[in-house]
Amino acid sequence: MRKNVLFMIFSSIKFCLLLLFFLFTATNSFAQNITVKGQVLDGETKTPIPAVNILVKGTSLKAATNANGVYTLTNVDPKAVLVFTYIGYTPQEISLHGQTQLNVILNADNGNLKEVVVTALGIKKEKKSIGYAVQEVKGETLEKVKSPTAIGALAGKVAGLNISNTTDLFQSPTISLRGQTPLIVIDGIPDPTADPYKINADDIESITVLKGTAAGALYGSIGINGAIMYTTKRGKKGKTSVEINSSTMFQTGYTVVPKVQTQYGAGNNGKYAYVDGSGGGTEGGGWIWGPKLDQKDPSTPSGYYETTQYNSPTDPVTGKLIPLPWISRGKDNIKNFFRTGMLSSNSVSVSTSGENGSFRISAANNYQKGTVPNTGVNNSSFSVSGNYALSPKLTMDGRLTYNREYANNYPSTGYGPTNILYNLLLWIGPDVDIRDLRNYWVKGKEGIQQRNYNLSWYNNPYFIANEQLNGYRKDNTFGNFSLNYQIAPDFSAKLRSGFNQYGTDADSRYPYSYIGYGTLSKGDYSYTKSSHFDIATDLILTYKHKFNDDFNLSVIGGAANSYNNTKGMTTSTDGLNIPGFYNIANSTNPLKGSNSLQERQINSLYTMADLEAYRFLYLSFTGRRDQTSTLPVKNNAYFYPSGSLSAVLSDALKLPETISFLKVRTSVAKVNSGAITTDPNNFYAQIQTYNIGNKWNGNASLSWPDSYKMPNLIPNTVMSWESGMVVGLFKNRLNVDVTYFQNKEYNNFQLVPLSETSGYTTLLQNANVYQRKGWEFMVSGTPVKTSSFEWESSFNFSNSHRWLKEATLSTDGYIGNLKVGERADKIFTSLYQRTPDGQTIYGSNGMPLNDPYQRSIGYADANWIYGWQNTFKYKNISLSIAVDGRIGGSIYSTTNYKMWWGGTALGTVNQYRDDANAGKSTYVGKGVIVTSGAATYDNHGNIISDTRQYAPNTTPVNYIAYNTGTGSSAENNYFYYSGTYLKMREVALTYTLPQKWIKKQKVFQGASVSLIGNNLFMLAKIPNVDPDAESDNLQTPSMRSIGFNFNLKF
Amino acid sequence: MKKKYLFSIVFLVGIALSSCKKFDYYQINPNTPTQADPSLELANIEQTAFATISTDAGLATRQLVYTQSASTTQYYGWQRAGFSYGNISQVVKMEQEAVRTAKPNYKYLGKFFRSYYIVGITLNFGDVPYSQAMQALNNNFSDAAVRPVYDAQEDIYLQVLNDLKLASDSLSASGGIINNDIIYNGDVTQWKKAINTFSLRVLMSLSKKEANTKLNIKQRFNDIVSNPAKYPLFTSNDDNAKLTYYDLVGNRYPYNNSNSLKTDYYLDDSFVKMLKGLKDPRLFVYGTPTPNAVAAGLSTKDFNAYAGLIGSAPVADNVQKMTAGNASAINHRYAYDAVNEPSVAIGYPELQFILAEAVARGWIAGDINKFYTGGIRNAMLFSRYKGDAAYTLNDIETYLNQQSVALQAGTQVQQILMQRYINTFMNTGWQSFYEQRRTGFPTFETAGSGMLNGGKIPTRWMYPTAELNNNGVNVDNAIKRQYPGGDDINGVMWLLQ
Repeated sequence: MRKNVLFMIFSSIKFCLLLLFFLFTATNSFAQNITVKGQVLDGETKTPIPAVNILVKGTSLKAATNANGVYTLTNVDPKAVLVFTYIGYTPQEISLHGQTQLNVILNADNGNLKEVVVTALGIKKEKKSIGYAVQEVKGETLEKVKSPTAIGALAGKVAGLNISNTTDLFQSPTISLRGQTPLIVIDGIPDPTADPYKINADDIESITVLKGTAAGALYGSIGINGAIMYTTKRGKKGKTSVEINSSTMFQTGYTVVPKVQTQYGAGNNGKYAYVDGSGGGTEGGGWIWGPKLDQKDPSTPSGYYETTQYNSPTDPVTGKLIPLPWISRGKDNIKNFFRTGMLSSNSVSVSTSGENGSFRISAANNYQKGTVPNTGVNNSSFSVSGNYALSPKLTMDGRLTYNREYANNYPSTGYGPTNILYNLLLWIGPDVDIRDLRNYWVKGKEGIQQRNYNLSWYNNPYFIANEQLNGYRKDNTFGNFSLNYQIAPDFSAKLRSGFNQYGTDADSRYPYSYIGYGTLSKGDYSYTKSSHFDIATDLILTYKHKFNDDFNLSVIGGAANSYNNTKGMTTSTDGLNIPGFYNIANSTNPLKGSNSLQERQINSLYTMADLEAYRFLYLSFTGRRDQTSTLPVKNNAYFYPSGSLSAVLSDALKLPETISFLKVRTSVAKVNSGAITTDPNNFYAQIQTYNIGNKWNGNASLSWPDSYKMPNLIPNTVMSWESGMVVGLFKNRLNVDVTYFQNKEYNNFQLVPLSETSGYTTLLQNANVYQRKGWEFMVSGTPVKTSSFEWESSFNFSNSHRWLKEATLSTDGYIGNLKVGERADKIFTSLYQRTPDGQTIYGSNGMPLNDPYQRSIGYADANWIYGWQNTFKYKNISLSIAVDGRIGGSIYSTTNYKMWWGGTALGTVNQYRDDANAGKSTYVGKGVIVTSGAATYDNHGNIISDTRQYAPNTTPVNYIAYNTGTGSSAENNYFYYSGTYLKMREVALTYTLPQKWIKKQKVFQGASVSLIGNNLFMLAKIPNVDPDAESDNLQTPSMRSIGFNFNLKF
Repeated sequence: MKKKYLFSIVFLVGIALSSCKKFDYYQINPNTPTQADPSLELANIEQTAFATISTDAGLATRQLVYTQSASTTQYYGWQRAGFSYGNISQVVKMEQEAVRTAKPNYKYLGKFFRSYYIVGITLNFGDVPYSQAMQALNNNFSDAAVRPVYDAQEDIYLQVLNDLKLASDSLSASGGIINNDIIYNGDVTQWKKAINTFSLRVLMSLSKKEANTKLNIKQRFNDIVSNPAKYPLFTSNDDNAKLTYYDLVGNRYPYNNSNSLKTDYYLDDSFVKMLKGLKDPRLFVYGTPTPNAVAAGLSTKDFNAYAGLIGSAPVADNVQKMTAGNASAINHRYAYDAVNEPSVAIGYPELQFILAEAVARGWIAGDINKFYTGGIRNAMLFSRYKGDAAYTLNDIETYLNQQSVALQAGTQVQQILMQRYINTFMNTGWQSFYEQRRTGFPTFETAGSGMLNGGKIPTRWMYPTAELNNNGVNVDNAIKRQYPGGDDINGVMWLLQ
């Protein structure tokens, strides 16, 4: 109790302010200033380096070396720190400690091993000192080949980061870092609600991926899953530059497109006769199991079999529909419907810098024209950023970005009547020519009744594209400022505050006569608005001290406060008085609506201590205490520690010549979720409340949840450990970075199933222990390097799996179907009954028998994901090629299942189908029947005893009934496919204008032109769909993009 | 200079931290409540309890045939069913709120809804947990509370009959106003009528247990019927316990615009023949003429315009007949009318048929014909979709005057049950299935080769998988003591023995 009170006082705002006041008023003693001289030499050749910049840190005092590498600085504080920088060399900071002669050796910067990287809170550290896995991607790699989102372009580039890019327009890629969703951070400011569209790729200086819990521990509970840190660009020192970057790509062809049969049309049982579009009776219920097309029939006027169809003219005498020839008019429906999509990205930036600071402004626009007619997305960004030294000791830095995403219409996704593919690929037979449906209103009923061949299940694809509209507009404003005060050469303070704000409004319009599941729209219209604001403020004190040549210490202490607020409101009507007038004032019935508010506050204190010993050993500790509003007050604060160690053995030991660099590292961390939920956007998850129920004729209702949150829940916790090694061989021509990590996840929130007869179906409890393990490998290097030709290559592969280690509340070692010791991503699904050796068991009616237990059919996670980037440079031409993919893991394909079920799959074209059309039952399912005996099962479906005897199944069934009943699931592994694939993700062939041409004129400082391609080609085991998305719920065909990039620097 | 910066920094920190609020502030969810008036739960319970429209019931009782695929319901090859104790949880929660707010009438309504739900569950499975169920809602998470034992079906029925009596005896005007009541608008007498009528249904469902002295069903039946002042019963269709649909979001007829109902549901051949045989005009409001009949120009009121599919025949055969234009689809109103007809949990016609059966069984004295014809008349009045457009009041009397309709000695129970069956087309849930299971009337056609379950009509459902996982010992014990053949859909529960 006393501890709590003390902590409360300690964490109070007053304390922060007092501390700040104390710090800024602390005077530093002034000693007699001195003059410093010295020479700068190259570490390898030991020759002098001219024009090295020397800056007295925290001042504007500077000098440069002359042709002999000699410099002189006068009037220098004897405690000052000198910073030596030269392009191509690793910068060095050296404390004077009163020395007047200071000779310095600068080492050439060989690749990434000596780089500085951005770590948690935006703290920059030398890469070799880091004891956990970090990977940086430079902004330039995102420059040429554009993805709809900047993060989507990271696919395959970072070991342990799995980006699944969807084929659907304006859908966010799925980001998974070591199997979890990481925190997004922009310029050190956490952005818990970041959407991947808000960041302009050309504003990104670098992206740093902090892979593990230890790396993100300094962010506390929100950093539990690691972090992806964006660092935005600032003006480059000493010049004014204008850069124009323009990429345009056209989606000209298909990487993967479903192949459908073109021999049978709509109907069922080989019959079809259109009556009124209501779908039943002779129209066959909406199936594509109709009569064979293009069948000669000499008795008809056309010479082909004829039947009534949706576009049949009416006989003016009899009033009946006139039969039309049943021919394959719609062979190319997919090709005829989709148009050439486009992705155009244009940006301009201007930056300048002067004596004391720099300034950058930028503007960018991305336009995506969808392959579905009347769809597209615009995304514009404006950004200003700058930094300035107000005094030698006080610098400020800031950025403000405005981003607007807007789409008047983007296509709906997922299996269902709003999906274009649903209406175009699955449920329009080749008897219908999609081009005939371009006029999508019934004549005389424009705005009221769509024209389509079926009016009970499906919509005209043109009607969906032009009338069922999904609008979305989002304004993002986000930025930060920071002030950095160098109190003393060893001691600095930083105040940083950043915010993310957005407002969205989205509407969806369902025109009259739109057919959904259980709806026939009379003008459904909904309008949703939401707004978000979050602000995070940090005060960070840094103390750096070099005790002697062998010991360096850096300590930071910080306090932070963050506040999140999200509001939302939605209003909808399901009927408009005036068709097509989408305004809620036009509603027929009372409006339906709801609103919500989510607020969260976290107060934090944190510290970090980095110790460098004997110039090769780096030890780091971090600790953070979060007090959060998402936990009950009595128990709302937790401490998050981490520790890491890095040893650069190549700096300490004499190693064989081939090994130029060797580092080992290890780290541990313990972090918890800081909330009683695994949903980071639910800030009230610890409170048990009623749910709002359906309103009946104006009477409101509530219902009590079927799950109960047990009292005394504590946040779920991850104890993480990782180790790794970096080896540089052959003068760092070949680098290998290996990481192994292991997380123990305990106190998990588990909805522990309960007998519903107790009153609840689940109890939310702290239960079960999972273990997540994985390997990450990165191999990079320069296999070939001559004066004119260079090949750079980088290959990474990684995996991450999760196992159930303990089922703490289970009486029999199971959680649902999953047994202790098994991988948690094991897929269980309903299959037909099978013999122990895997044959399908059929019933007496020739149909496979349902199994009352769920069975396993594989694992969801990939065994490995991999990526391979190559750059070939020959003089002014460079070619970069990026391929990536995954190995293993099972993906369920809705598209393939529905194609078999509905009658459009190529595999359904066979003799059995013709037989079924002729009314004959000839298909015999492959498998057995049980002739005698029975099996008994335990409660999890494991066989206890089995006396079954089998005989081959010989009962013929109607092939169409078999497919509409089972979809031929058993024959197609229940539509689970291996997720293995290899994709040619990006190709860029760039020609850079030679330096000599550049020098001849004064307009350009650099110019390049590239031929670019995206998503060009793939090899995959799954048919008809792109496994890149890692799931298929009727995805848009995967398109190949080809185009140009122009880059001009003035 | 320095002071200026310092001042501005202090000021900025102040701004940045000014968003701080006390942590207590965040401990209230502004979006949903933790406590509620019991009336808010009532409106929710009523929506669930009284929603009884089910096409599956039509498939299982040979009134409908499904053509999209082989329905395990239609072919009698079902396996497990869910428990739906979640509905009882809502009732218990309402009872708790009734106690908290001192509004006892909601507690007694709770007794009725509990009984109504548990009867629905035990009818499907046999023994199920009841006396020891629902304890977790009192925050009791002991072993016995989270894994409740199964009660014998007999004990459940005893508890139900006692609770229903208690509810009818205790509901009163002094028990506080019943708000938010979407069924009877807070009318206590109407609720008593519904509870007593439901009691008679439960008692009749126990007809095989006439001799059971523990339950004493004949006595209980008479206690209610003989004391209308204390135990009022339904007196007209107006009293029906029904959920009325509205053309509002979430309030529409459950199959309104159902795509599947538009294309995949046809009348069963045996049902069409039954209605044709009786010249029952309800055929015109239950079904549509076949496409061929329409093409031939037959009137919708021509019995020859209707034909059914055979529920036991393979899907392919039915699809063949359907695509040939020879099948009557379910009437368009079920898919195209947002209001259509109300969902009746229990209605006045059913009461009349129960009373008629009670007379036939000698439980009570009374005019069996009055009950029988009253039941049919009110059933036909209820089904008269859009009034005279369906059939006139005269048509009803004509129907009643037919020799084929009039009660015949020796087949009274059969005829009463056939009318009770015709009355429940697309209404009153699975009641007809349970009545058929109890009495064998009407006979469901099972001759076709599409039949599963060895051609038998199942008598129950297997217990839900979740129970095997979460309450394994108790469900195993219940299976062992009831069903020698194991947890099987053909097991015969106590009620049917």
